[in-house]
Amino acid sequence: MMKRIVLCLLAALVVFAGTSCGKKETELHVYNWADYVNPEVITQFEKANNCRVIMDFFDSNEALYAKVKAGAVGYDLYICSSYMINVMYQQNMLKSLDHGKIDNLGNVDKQYLKLALDKDMQYSVPYMMSFAGIAYNKDKVKNFKASWSMFGREDLKGRMTLLNDVRETVGAALKFNGFSYNTLSEAELAKARDTVIKWKKNIAKFEVDEAKRGLDAGEFFLIHTYNGDALQLMDQNKKLAFAVPEEGTSLSCDDMVIPETAQNIKLAYAFINFMLDPAVSAKNMEYINYLAPNTAAQKLMPEEFLKNPAVNLPASIVKKSDVLKDLGAENVKYSKVWDEIKMAQ
Amino acid sequence: MNRSRTPFYIVMGIIVFLYVPLLIVIINSFNMSRFGGEWGGFTLKWYGKLFNDRDVWHALSNSLIVALSTTFTSMVLGTVAAIALYRFRTFLQSVNNVFIYMPLVVPDILIGISLLLFFVALKVHLGLFTIYLAHVTFCISYVAMVVMGRLQDFNYSVMEAAMDLGASWFTAVRRIMIPILAPGIFAGGLLAFTLSIDDFVITFFVTGPGAATLPLYIYSMMKHGSPMVINALTGIFLTFTFIIIIISKKLLEEK
Repeated sequence: MMKRIVLCLLAALVVFAGTSCGKKETELHVYNWADYVNPEVITQFEKANNCRVIMDFFDSNEALYAKVKAGAVGYDLYICSSYMINVMYQQNMLKSLDHGKIDNLGNVDKQYLKLALDKDMQYSVPYMMSFAGIAYNKDKVKNFKASWSMFGREDLKGRMTLLNDVRETVGAALKFNGFSYNTLSEAELAKARDTVIKWKKNIAKFEVDEAKRGLDAGEFFLIHTYNGDALQLMDQNKKLAFAVPEEGTSLSCDDMVIPETAQNIKLAYAFINFMLDPAVSAKNMEYINYLAPNTAAQKLMPEEFLKNPAVNLPASIVKKSDVLKDLGAENVKYSKVWDEIKMAQ
Repeated sequence: MNRSRTPFYIVMGIIVFLYVPLLIVIINSFNMSRFGGEWGGFTLKWYGKLFNDRDVWHALSNSLIVALSTTFTSMVLGTVAAIALYRFRTFLQSVNNVFIYMPLVVPDILIGISLLLFFVALKVHLGLFTIYLAHVTFCISYVAMVVMGRLQDFNYSVMEAAMDLGASWFTAVRRIMIPILAPGIFAGGLLAFTLSIDDFVITFFVTGPGAATLPLYIYSMMKHGSPMVINALTGIFLTFTFIIIIISKKLLEEK
């Protein structure tokens, strides 16, 4: 009996050792959000390059960072949010990109790149972007204006919510006053603080998830939310609409990067190049309903897609928007202002 | 005397809160509307999408491989640990006792990150094997606990009787002790299987390239994926669970 058990254990060890070490030349390991790339596109890439793409998943940017920082290796490509990529870059965890190996780089939206954290695509290439805005009930909100000034409207008192997120809400007030989401100027922050305190008198509360349910149920008439969430809400409830404030908004983007520890660099470059192909990028947009900052691909999208304000962001607003940046130690300035807002009567 | 109706309401409440959400999930998995807020008509497209999604199947097979091997190993090691704790009351065994209890009280995230650092330091390749090791680490404790409960009622004199009649200690364990403990061992094994198949926190840290398990996939899908596909997956899982329960009940009744 004992012998048999030991034998079984040894057999299990051998099987595992076999499966975990059998890494082939022709495998590309992508660390990504689940269901974030059109599976058709993956099959197409595999056929074209005679390889296998193996996806692994994380549930938050922070979890991904904790894991790879601790030393987890074996991934050839990450797809995650810009601000986290910026942090990884500062810690020398990413490879610099050789633009000669990515022919389709010219398709990337130049307008967007001006705002990106990595303007020259030194280490990252944008994949999909999302943004914040205002979702509202068309029946209840009269004279809607696509502007952050809506939160100053007294007739909607107690029927609005702002995001319970310091960077988003203080940022919206900064934008309303004509400043950047990433400002470090204390005078600008003080002005934004006063604006939010004024808005606070009109809103029901600072909320993220509860607000969406409240808007759907008719408890709230107007909420500050993200485009992806608004798209879901509008699909359920035809009375709802979404708009991006004309003053500009916050953009966040998921980018593709090659980690310093990547093993199959050649395939990783091929994959980035492939994902930037207009037809491929359009297929991905169709599949996940997000907008890719890819000028050539956007031209291929149906009008219905591009006209939906919860998906497409007009170039005129992109120009005025900002990508949220991780401010490191300077975050204290924001938390100080946020505390003052929360304390204000 | 009037019988109180309170127990009836409590039972109804439990049924409503436990089973109605499951029912809603299953009904919604046939819903045409992408986000399941309103009924948009009957469809099987989410099941179709699920069956064509090879990442799901890859994750499911990974989960099953890990769960089955974890169950087996922790059943063996957990039982051995429980018997040792029951039989010997030395200083070393009290240390062992602490070790067995430890994974039950240490937060998952600490186990996860410390195992990851440990594997990285040893340069062990992260993958199914490291998930298996991590799962065995905490599953042993659960199996040992259940088997120890069973041992409380175990009368050691039957072992002594067997040995008096000429059985070696090893034969006595095999022919007497193990059969008597079997229900406890299997109950522990089932517990280990469930814990292993739905563990997220520890698995996330010790997994490696190509070794995503089903919980990792589902959690990650919350961000961008379609909730309807998750509903379809839940529908299939529930159906299988119910079939297994019905079969095992039938088997028990026949005996």
